Amino acid sequence: MAFKAIRTALAVVGFGLVGTMAAAQENPECIAPANPGGGWDFTCRQVGKSLQDLGMIDKTMQVVNLAGGGGGVAYAEVVNKRNDSNDLIVAASSATATRLAQGAYPGNTMDQVRWVASVGADYGMIAVAANSPINTLPELLDMIKNDPASVSVAGGSAVGGWDHLKVLIAANAYGIDDVRTVKYVAFDGGGEAVTQLLAGSVQAFTGDISEAKGFVDSGDIKVIAVLAPERLEGEFNKFPTAKEQGVDALGANWRGFYAPKGMSDDAYNMWVEKIGKLYASPEWKETMAANGMAPLDLQGAAFEAFVAESVAQIQSISKEIGIIK
Amino acid sequence: MELLSSLGDGFAVALTWQNLGLALLGCFLGTIMGALPGLGPSNGVAILIPLAFSLGLGATPALILLTSVYYGAMYGGRISSILLNIPGDEPAMMTCLDGYPMAQKGMAGEALAISGIASFVGSFLATWGLILLAPQLVKIALLFGPAEYFALFALAFMTLGGVSSTNQAKSAFAAALGLGLAMIGVDTQTGVPRFTFGEVHLYDGLDFLVAIVGLFALSEVFIFLEERHGAADAAGRKLTVGRLTPPAAMVKECTPTMLRSSFLGFLAGVLPGAGASLGSFISYSMEKRLVDRKGTFGKGDPRGVAAPEAGNNAAAGGALVPMLALGVPGSGTTAVLLAVLLSLNITPGPLLFANNPDVVWGLIAALFIANFMLLAMNIPMVGIFTRVLMIPPRILMPVVAMVSFVGIYGISGSSFDLLVMIGFGIMGWGLRKFDVPLVPIILGTLLGNAMENNLRRAITIDNGNWFTLIDSPLSIALWAIAILGFLLPVFVGRMVKMRMRQRGDAEGSVID
Amino acid sequence: MSDRIFGAFGVFLALGYAYAALQIEESFLSDAVGPKAFPLIIATIFGLSSAVIFLRPDAEPHWPAFGRLAELAAAVVVMVLYAELLPVAGFVIATAFAAAYLSWRLGSAPIGAALTGVGTSVGIYVVFHLALGLSLARGPLGF
Repeated sequence: MAFKAIRTALAVVGFGLVGTMAAAQENPECIAPANPGGGWDFTCRQVGKSLQDLGMIDKTMQVVNLAGGGGGVAYAEVVNKRNDSNDLIVAASSATATRLAQGAYPGNTMDQVRWVASVGADYGMIAVAANSPINTLPELLDMIKNDPASVSVAGGSAVGGWDHLKVLIAANAYGIDDVRTVKYVAFDGGGEAVTQLLAGSVQAFTGDISEAKGFVDSGDIKVIAVLAPERLEGEFNKFPTAKEQGVDALGANWRGFYAPKGMSDDAYNMWVEKIGKLYASPEWKETMAANGMAPLDLQGAAFEAFVAESVAQIQSISKEIGIIK
Repeated sequence: MELLSSLGDGFAVALTWQNLGLALLGCFLGTIMGALPGLGPSNGVAILIPLAFSLGLGATPALILLTSVYYGAMYGGRISSILLNIPGDEPAMMTCLDGYPMAQKGMAGEALAISGIASFVGSFLATWGLILLAPQLVKIALLFGPAEYFALFALAFMTLGGVSSTNQAKSAFAAALGLGLAMIGVDTQTGVPRFTFGEVHLYDGLDFLVAIVGLFALSEVFIFLEERHGAADAAGRKLTVGRLTPPAAMVKECTPTMLRSSFLGFLAGVLPGAGASLGSFISYSMEKRLVDRKGTFGKGDPRGVAAPEAGNNAAAGGALVPMLALGVPGSGTTAVLLAVLLSLNITPGPLLFANNPDVVWGLIAALFIANFMLLAMNIPMVGIFTRVLMIPPRILMPVVAMVSFVGIYGISGSSFDLLVMIGFGIMGWGLRKFDVPLVPIILGTLLGNAMENNLRRAITIDNGNWFTLIDSPLSIALWAIAILGFLLPVFVGRMVKMRMRQRGDAEGSVID
Repeated sequence: MSDRIFGAFGVFLALGYAYAALQIEESFLSDAVGPKAFPLIIATIFGLSSAVIFLRPDAEPHWPAFGRLAELAAAVVVMVLYAELLPVAGFVIATAFAAAYLSWRLGSAPIGAALTGVGTSVGIYVVFHLALGLSLARGPLGF
């Protein structure tokens, strides 16, 4: 999961490099709620560096690593101590929304900050080994329905994490009533999970499209469903969506920023506009295409609504499977 | 011969002035970061990524810079282990066991030199292993399912006894303590918090860097504070650093050790999830069992320095195999490197060698270059490193303490981590008093989560059947070695004792 | 005697750990092993090894005199203060004071200690912040 985050975030590097607007933030600061080397850290560090190189900000963007609690420490810091800072943005992703939804940031909710903008998304997918007899998503879900013990699904996130929820969303949409019977095995990152799929320890894999690109290219695994509203562009076009197989399931891992609640409207609008323009640049589109990232073009209020919706969705499924009460 | 021509092409890519300069810079910075407690290879590489991007480097030069940092940090970690008894990073922890006693015996120069050579041998052989065996080795990695990993970790802990302490019970105590501390945080298999007492800072668990810096570095500062008997004592301490090059006899004695350790370390590196720390640990404990006939390991045996250094550097090379060929990072550092590859639009995986031969062979050539540079840099610089010992403790120890604090704070930005580190420092001081070894604690915190998760994965996959743990020939073999390794010292120890009694050997004091 | 106390303490610690492990709240969604089993195994090993230490103690370690212990306690207090004040006072100032204190207690003359403190602090700031680009705590003066 952490590794996937790094990967997506590094794609964000491109976005920093193509920025063209000039705007002066006084002491711009980006909080990465994790240690250096993590996905959130890359987002901040590279964006900051590139912004300065391009002369968009006069002072160096201070990148502050505030690790702990899966982002919860940083969230609490922003809410409690930095609530009126105009110069501050914080890296976030689906993982942030998942934890907010499950109450994993004790005492904090999503409306305690302002959500700025997204910079892209990575759609979920479900795959099996190339030599597996399973060819479609309904076949896999049928097997799970008939004998849940016969199929182990591997993913890179913890139980209740995003990779796990994706497969549960699919199972739920297919009419498996007690999704808790789905056997999910958590690994340290998508790469390790794919390796165990190849080794034959598990029967299916749930992850993001970008995680398994190398193995899809080499033909070692086959993607049986993409959890996107419609087929992806480019070389990923050949994979069927879950929807067209009759399973109405969506799962997007987005990446973006939030800012303190007390930020002035001017400052907020400036950040929104900046990231929006960067997102629109052709260079950024190229970076996304090369990485199997899908568009997710949301800024300001639209992004805020999107986050609220995904928090609500995660909350309801988490309740259903009993992760939260 | 296709191989040699590919390698030749690689050198053609790597041997430009710019790339050589980058390799030199990377080796230098890496060595420093490796030697500073708190900054290890993974953070070192992560910190330098912005530099690589802001210089606008292409794929190959960027990789050359970052892998030089990686190899440099693996070399650098040993320096503080030997001179200060503080591992610069976690794989160098085993080097303390014999390196520091050597330095105390006035052989710091020899220890640094022989460990430098061992590091070179380890990474040199590992790089060849990477070239010749990468595709085959991937198959080994695929043999390891959760049950096999669990057996491997069990092997490490079962062979722990006697490696780092004379009292087996205290080794076991330390290992259990480390494993117990590793359990703190949100359980990844079910998502429930464990032993966090509602403290959000503990949800991610304890960072083993915090543990290692507290246990080793801060407790060292406390020991100095406790033992201060006035400035006269420090000044009166006559320090010898020994020769700056190892005698030929020592190199000869260590050669078989280096070769064996390189092989073992490389294998440990190839397995994702095992990593360099396990590589150096297994190399050391295996060497101790094989060649330590006089009980000199742990008291300043050069082979006890050569083994872990060859082991961890070989593991560093080995860890590149799954990263390149499977896209699976075998360690924290390779995770960061992998992310860099992806950001440069290079997809690691089975097709990497075919799709991006220039990158792969350029990288391999860079590894060779970095390795020779590090050897050339490290051997002459032994003299400079040993100067550290000339600094009186009243200046050196505050620096050590502050570097430790900064290393942790600069990375996590959390005062809470500093408090935890101070806690570990106090604990380390107390445990040293009781002669409880610190190495098993670190090994426990490092491997605890992986060990538990693999146990639970294996059993979940097999629907609650615990016999799945001994279900494959490989896991049975690993368990057999583990049990043998556990029982052998007990019997051998008894036999040695009996033989000594028969001979009436009075001076051979056997430690129970 | 020390080892006996140590071993007994270890046994109690193991019991406490096992108790804490049993308190772990299991979610509805559990794997076959559950989150308690492994900690309980560890607690067992922990308790057994502590018991052995209790029953077969090593020779008595050398304990420092009370004055030395007070010295250590004072150092711990300074370090804790350092950790807490770092974000407030800023890196350079806090570090200079902490390093100077340690240097003084390790036997430097007051002036030497002050110089060591300032030198350590500025040196680390240059290497870690200016050269390596790590973000260190920024105080009211900007460093």
